[in-house]
Formats: sequence, structure tokens, C-alpha cells
Amino acid sequence: MKYIATVKDKEYTIEIDDVPIEIDFRRLPSGGVSSLLMNHRSISAVIEEVGDYWDVLIEGELYAVKVQDERAYRLEHMRATTVSMSGDATVFSPMPGIIIAVPVSVGDRVHHGDKVVILESMKMENELRAPRDGVVSQILVSPGASVEKDQPLVVITQPDDDALPQPSEAAAE
Amino acid sequence: MERKDGLLVKKFDKLLIANRGEIAMRILRAARELGIATVAVYSDADRDAPHVRFADEAYHIGPPPARESYLVIEKLLDVARRSGAEAIHPGYGFLAERETFAQACVDAGIVFIGPPARAIGIMGDKLMARQTVVAAGVPVVPGTMPGQSDEEMKAAALQMGFPVLVKAAAGGGGKGMRPVLRAEDLADAFAGARREAKSAFGDDTVYIEKMITEARHIEIQLLADSHGNTIYLGERECSLQRRHQKLIEEAPSFIVDADLRRRMGEVAVAAAKAVDYVNAGTIEFLVDKERNFYFLEMNTRVQVEHPVTELVTGIDIVQEQLRIARGRRLRIRQEDVRIKGWAIECRINAEDPYNNYLPSTGTITASHLPTGPGVRVDTGVYVGNAISPYYDSMISKLICYGETRGEAVLRMRRALEEYRVLGVKTNIPFHQHMMDSHRFLSGQFDTNFVEERFSMDDREAPRALEAALLATLATHEQYQRAAQIVAPGDRDTSNWKWYSRWERLHR
Repeated sequence: MKYIATVKDKEYTIEIDDVPIEIDFRRLPSGGVSSLLMNHRSISAVIEEVGDYWDVLIEGELYAVKVQDERAYRLEHMRATTVSMSGDATVFSPMPGIIIAVPVSVGDRVHHGDKVVILESMKMENELRAPRDGVVSQILVSPGASVEKDQPLVVITQPDDDALPQPSEAAAE
Repeated sequence: MERKDGLLVKKFDKLLIANRGEIAMRILRAARELGIATVAVYSDADRDAPHVRFADEAYHIGPPPARESYLVIEKLLDVARRSGAEAIHPGYGFLAERETFAQACVDAGIVFIGPPARAIGIMGDKLMARQTVVAAGVPVVPGTMPGQSDEEMKAAALQMGFPVLVKAAAGGGGKGMRPVLRAEDLADAFAGARREAKSAFGDDTVYIEKMITEARHIEIQLLADSHGNTIYLGERECSLQRRHQKLIEEAPSFIVDADLRRRMGEVAVAAAKAVDYVNAGTIEFLVDKERNFYFLEMNTRVQVEHPVTELVTGIDIVQEQLRIARGRRLRIRQEDVRIKGWAIECRINAEDPYNNYLPSTGTITASHLPTGPGVRVDTGVYVGNAISPYYDSMISKLICYGETRGEAVLRMRRALEEYRVLGVKTNIPFHQHMMDSHRFLSGQFDTNFVEERFSMDDREAPRALEAALLATLATHEQYQRAAQIVAPGDRDTSNWKWYSRWERLHR
């Protein structure tokens, strides 16, 4: 059987048949620990299914791995090319907290990684960043507001044409 | 013995721990070792926390937000009365540095494990602390008093030399702070800092301070008993910080030799004596390139990073705190304090180093602590416990000891690889990256290093293929299992037979 495993931006195609190399894979009964012996090379990790992907922790690094068979992989990629180019990207609150500042205004052009919301939670100020390039089309919260986990905060729209509004003076400060 | 400055010292046999998390565990352990009975307190969020189970008694004190539970003085004093606790240890954070709490304990006849209330009050006030230690001959960063005119501040700046910092008198967290490199830029900086200070604190008073560039943050651990003996237990290097939050601490410091240690230690003792200090405390210094040191502030409580000092001196600081509060004399004299070996502490926080250190909340689903020679883990979070938004994001402190700094680093690398936490993202990769960094290994860093010259972007994810393999094998196993259960003949047997087969598979 053929699988496509996606880790960050990398994709691995992995085929499991009557394997020519010796693989002994065990999931131990305690705490998600698994052990893989591959031609006697020992690889140990903690693995856990989280929604539609796996958390794999090896030597301190956490890898989020999405594993799909060929059919599921193709289906998703068909959908991805038709939908995700247009439409809105929403910045959600990753945790409950208080909005300290929203350093953008409606109409601002933002780039992937720009600061759009500053959220205070767990005694720290956290910067939430734009998930992609676009124009701020909606701001759903104001400073001082308490927000819940997964509450939508800011909507960024992919502009339809090249006639983009210029960043406002206030946002430059 | 009760002193006029708000210190009560007497023998006690039952201790209330007014804290949670790893520090509550740390204090519980010290109390147990000394045969002192323990009382824990917990909010609604902490019923399942280990400190509740490790204590002899535990009392509920309210809802999860700290201001409705761990910060309510009356509730804590009420628990002390109900449980018959004769002493309260505040830990760090929460009420540890509240003068009113220390005084309220003493007024209720309860021993506060910490300094006299007056010492907390003086050291908690920036300006008063500065004046007090200057009078005792302690060097401070040159600066002006708040409230001077622009001309006076300009003259002072020219005298102390640029760069200088314009700071807000009511300030904190970098708000209202402006670095100024040239005299021409002072006027703009005054205006900007005033505007920012006015909107942030409602007070536009500013002052200037000499800016110490390439500064290190090095602190001296002190112990003082109620009989007038004060000793220093060497230094801790705490320069690796992000947004004023320490991340890695070590003892000793790479740049402190025996002579500098003695000089800093003696100054620290003088600063503590200036406020008649008793119990454990820490004097924080800024140290510049020429190894001049300046008093920054005093922390009038046990520090998060106290274990590194414990490992290199062999002194149990928390036990000493309890002994001092019971009125005992220090058993160690200054000349008996020896620094042996090297200790490093990494604060393991629930935050994502690959996503701007965003805190990560959730329930810990797996936790395998590192162990073996030279490894100590102080934690208050176990499997099933939540990292909630109500409290800080620290999961544990991983402390490694070695005969040399190199050996301590090798142990830390090994322990970080061994440490496994799932359920939340952790900053373990940050620590691993730091332990691999040439600048860290050669001891070349200052307080700006993490924020300005350290990036996770150049870290390779070396095990991505293995991770992909493991996840794929786990998925394959599930597919096969699923196929065995439902696919053949669409369950042609009776439900009971099918169920027992299903159970066998999942055993």
C-alpha cells in the first residue's frame, strides 16, 4: 500500500509491501512510546494521533505528520487548488486572553508573518501574525476585549486585482 | 522573636505553602525532609495537581484566576487558622514580594518564610531601593532622579557619556523607554518617552540612566539568619532571556573569577545588610564588558533558578530558608562555601519556538522525564495535568550538573533528547539549538543575544524522515486492523462473536 506522509513542507511517499528491509515496529503499551527497528537501527519516539495527523516526538523535536493514502491525498489536492487561492483567511485566537492591541486597520495591506493582533495570555504578550499576504477586510475585536480560544479576530482577504489600497499612516507607526 | 520591622522568627511544625506548580513541590519536599507537616492550597484548576497529593492536607481556595485564589491574603490566612499551620512559605510570584502579606502573617502570629516586611517594601520600590543601597556603598547604574528639567537631564547625560536610556519613572516592561546615542536626539526622546509613559501609566515623569551595552545579567545568592550572619553562595549567570523572562541559567558564570565573585558577593551582602535582611535573597547585577558591576534590584524571595546554586555549593537553599525562619543560626560560614563543578538550568515552557514562542495550552498526554547521572528535574506537571491560561507556561526546570561546563552541556543535550512531553508544544528544541550554538558554547552572549542574534530558522529538522516512517507505520497498522474487523463478509458472525474478536485485537 502507498502512503504520502507530509511533515511541514516535505512530502514522503512510503510504500508498505512485503518489505525488502527488515522492519519491526511496535507500539509499547505505556504512554504512546513506540519502537522501530529498521535493519537493527533503533528509532524510538512518542507518537499520538491528534485529529487528522500524528504528533511524533523524536529526541526533543515534535513533528506533525499527516499520513494519507493515495486516494485521500489526490482528493485533498484537487480541493486545495480550487478553493484556497481566493477566499478569506481568518486569524483565530489560539487561547483565551485579552486583546492588547490590533496594530492594523481595515484596508491595510499585510504580508505573511506581519503582526496583526497582540494578545495577552499566560502573563505574556503574544503576537499573532498574518497567515498570508492580503488586505485586512474585517477586524472583529478591539483592545481590551476578552476572547475565547478559536474566536475569530481578524479576516484577511486576497485582493481581486492589483489596485491595492496603500498602507495607512497609522499602521506605519 | 518578633522584630519591629515585621519579622517573626520561631519554631514551627506545620507549614502552609501558598503556591502551586514546581515551587510548591520543591517546598513540600524540603519540609518533608525536615519532618514538618505540610498544608497545600489549590484553586478549581489545580484539584488534580501533584502538590495537592504530596501535601499532608489540602484546602480549596477558590476559582482558577489567581486574583480570586492564590492572591487572596484573607483566604490564605483563614486556611492557616483552620489547619493550624504556624508558618507560610510564599514560594516565588503570587504574594512572595508583597509587603502587606508578610506583615499580615506576622500580625496573625504566623511565621512568614522570607525577609522582614520592611525589607520587602524598601527593595520593592525602585527609587527607595536605589537610595538605600547607594548609601551602603553599592554601585548603581549612573542616572538622574526623576522629575528633573530637560536641561538638567541633558547636562547629566553629557557628563555620564552616551549612549543613555530615557526611562519612565512609573515604567516597566520596556514601555516609555528610549535609547539615545547622541545629544541632538535627546529632545525627541524626551517627548516620545513622555507620550508613551503618559498613555501607558498616566504619568509622564522621565529620567535618564547610562545605557550599559553588551551587558550581562549576573546575580548573587544570599542567605542571612536572624542572628546577623549573612553569606553569599556565589553567582548565577542569567543573561539568556527573552522579553525579560530568563530561559537558561548557569552557575558559576563564564566571566566571573574568584576575585570578581568575592567583590560582588561582599557588595551583595552590604546591600542586604542595609535593609536588615533575613532569609534567602538575591541581588541582581548588570555587568558590563569591562566587568564593572551595577546593582539592578533585589529579589526578596527564593528564585526560580535556585537549583543551579544548590548543585554547585551542595547547600539546600529551601531547607535553609525553613531553618532560618525557625530561628536557627546558619551552619555554614562564608569560608566554608565552595563552588564545585558546573550546573545549567533550562526552563521547559509550553511554548512553540518555531512560532514566535507562542504559549501552547492543553493537557499533558505523555511525559517521560530524563534521568541518570547529573540530571535533576523540578516539575509540578504530570500526565493528565493541564497547562492552562490562568498561570505561567513553565512545565519544569531541567537542571544538569557536570564537573566542567563542557560536561554539563553534554549532559543537558542528552537529557533534552531523553525528555518527552506530548499534549503541548515545548521549547525543548530552543534549548537544544542553544546547546549547539557556538556563541553559547564559547560563553559569548549578553542579555540581548536571544532576541537579537539567535534564530530557530537555521535549525534543521533532522528526524523528519523517521517521523514520517513512524506515523505511516502507525497508520498502516490501524488500516489493517480496521480491515480485519469490518471488511471481510461485512460481519457475518453474531454481534457477540464479533465483539469478543474485536476485544482480543485491542487487548
